[in-house]
Amino acid sequence: MNTDQPGAATDKAADRVTGGPATQPMGIRQALREIRKGIVVMWWSFFDWLAAISWKALLLVSFLSLLLAGILRHPTPVFFLIIVSIIIKVIAGGKRRAERIATEATKRAETEQLGRTVLEARMEALQAQIEPHFLFNTLASIDQLIQTDPPRASRMQQSLIRYLRSAMPQMRESRRPSLGQQLDLCGAFLEIMAVRMEGRLQPVVRVPEGLRSAVFPSMMLQTLVENAIKHGLEAKPEGGRLEIGAEVVDGQLLVHVIDTGVGFMPKAEGGVGLANVRERLKVLYNGRAELIITVPPAGGTCATIKVPYEIAPA
Amino acid sequence: MHPVSAPTAVVADDERLMREQIIASLKEAWPELLVVAEASNGHEAVAMVQDLEPDIVFLDISMPGLNGIQAAQALAGRAHVVFVTAHDQYAISAFEHGAVDYLLKPAEAARVALTCQRLRERLKQAPDPMNDLLAQLSQRLGGGVKPREYMRWVQASVGANIRMIPTSDILFFRAEDKYTRVQTQGFEALIRKPIKELIDELDPNEFWQIHRATVVRVDAVEQVSRNFRGKQVVHVKGSTEKLEVSRTFNHLFKQM
Repeated sequence: MNTDQPGAATDKAADRVTGGPATQPMGIRQALREIRKGIVVMWWSFFDWLAAISWKALLLVSFLSLLLAGILRHPTPVFFLIIVSIIIKVIAGGKRRAERIATEATKRAETEQLGRTVLEARMEALQAQIEPHFLFNTLASIDQLIQTDPPRASRMQQSLIRYLRSAMPQMRESRRPSLGQQLDLCGAFLEIMAVRMEGRLQPVVRVPEGLRSAVFPSMMLQTLVENAIKHGLEAKPEGGRLEIGAEVVDGQLLVHVIDTGVGFMPKAEGGVGLANVRERLKVLYNGRAELIITVPPAGGTCATIKVPYEIAPA
Repeated sequence: MHPVSAPTAVVADDERLMREQIIASLKEAWPELLVVAEASNGHEAVAMVQDLEPDIVFLDISMPGLNGIQAAQALAGRAHVVFVTAHDQYAISAFEHGAVDYLLKPAEAARVALTCQRLRERLKQAPDPMNDLLAQLSQRLGGGVKPREYMRWVQASVGANIRMIPTSDILFFRAEDKYTRVQTQGFEALIRKPIKELIDELDPNEFWQIHRATVVRVDAVEQVSRNFRGKQVVHVKGSTEKLEVSRTFNHLFKQM
């Protein structure tokens, strides 16, 4: 076997050398094709080189070539070549620059998009954390109501289902959520908490009907309402009022969540919830939205989300 | 012998439905047990136990006012304690190693029956004040000494409002006459707290004092240059103001 191979190679070599007249035109055509390919490649690399070098370098090279051509006493073809180069440079340079700008822009857009997606995903993962304490307490309440007041137990369970749906990111339907939707979702949470806390929670919703169609990001109102109850009202033995309000001021939609609870602690670790809302506003609105926390004169806490006022597409 | 009178209990939980549930399940597991009062917060629970001297107190852990652990500490062995909780990982693991009993909400009949059986045994002895265990629990639940906490929000007047400004929004603090100016990218506010006190409450990893009158948030520093007098000057992102670094704090911006 091993000894066969060199023999075969020699045979092929012999074929090539002694190739009969029938194979010769084929060989020429092949060669021509190769040459054409080579010229095309050279032409494009010349084109790219022209596009890429600076005007100064081109002028310098042109001047040197002219000088050389002058010495050789054939300046005319070189002169033409230079003119053609300049024309190509004008056209190719523009095209190249446009291409480069487009590539960069795409890359930047992709990075931004990716950053945004990653951030949104991280945020949603954070948002999706339903507090076990809330869940088990609510289930225990439902359990008790099943014994004593089954219709009410059923209503509370339905509220819990609506709440869970809204708290799970993959279950959020609309891409541009409206304030109305967000209010409905908070409604489910407030219904549950009102059953559990009874007189200690007095929810008030004061949102003009016309503002329900305004665009408002998902899960933010919910975070503010949950915070107000958990840190403000549940911590206060007598409980208090929780008011959701909305207004439009100078083209900005302001949504307030006001509670009469124990008030804000300056040393409190911002809370994942609020930090999350601030971060998401930054990503979604790029500085055109804000979370403002103020202390009302009567005590408690007022959290306001300010976003540009837009009507959600129906 | 033992007193013939029925054993008594107080049930404390801030949610009425939860109290009802515990009472209903106790009635089933231990019909003779008499629930003499219901409390809706920690203070009430302590007052009722002191007043009525029941044998047993069921304490929800998360209650306003005093939480369940703090209430148990205040009672210091006046009654046998059973803690009730929906979900407190720390507490549960501590209970499992301690002598104290607990119930999970929603209470399962079998678990309540077991607790009642244990309670019947425990009633033969005086209640254990459980000082060490409670101190440990209290600490785990956030009532005890924690690692140093720094200011995360600054309460300041902005116009007519008192506003809570997250420290991550602040570019720098600057002493101005009797006040300290809080500068953010969008607005400025005044607070009464002097720089000297402020610096103790701020996280040293977040804020640096660069001058007797100036504290800057490290992440907001854009660059440090030298002015015509050769002094270091800090430029802050989002503000045109340049902040001078005094000689004492020069080392902060030493070249690497």
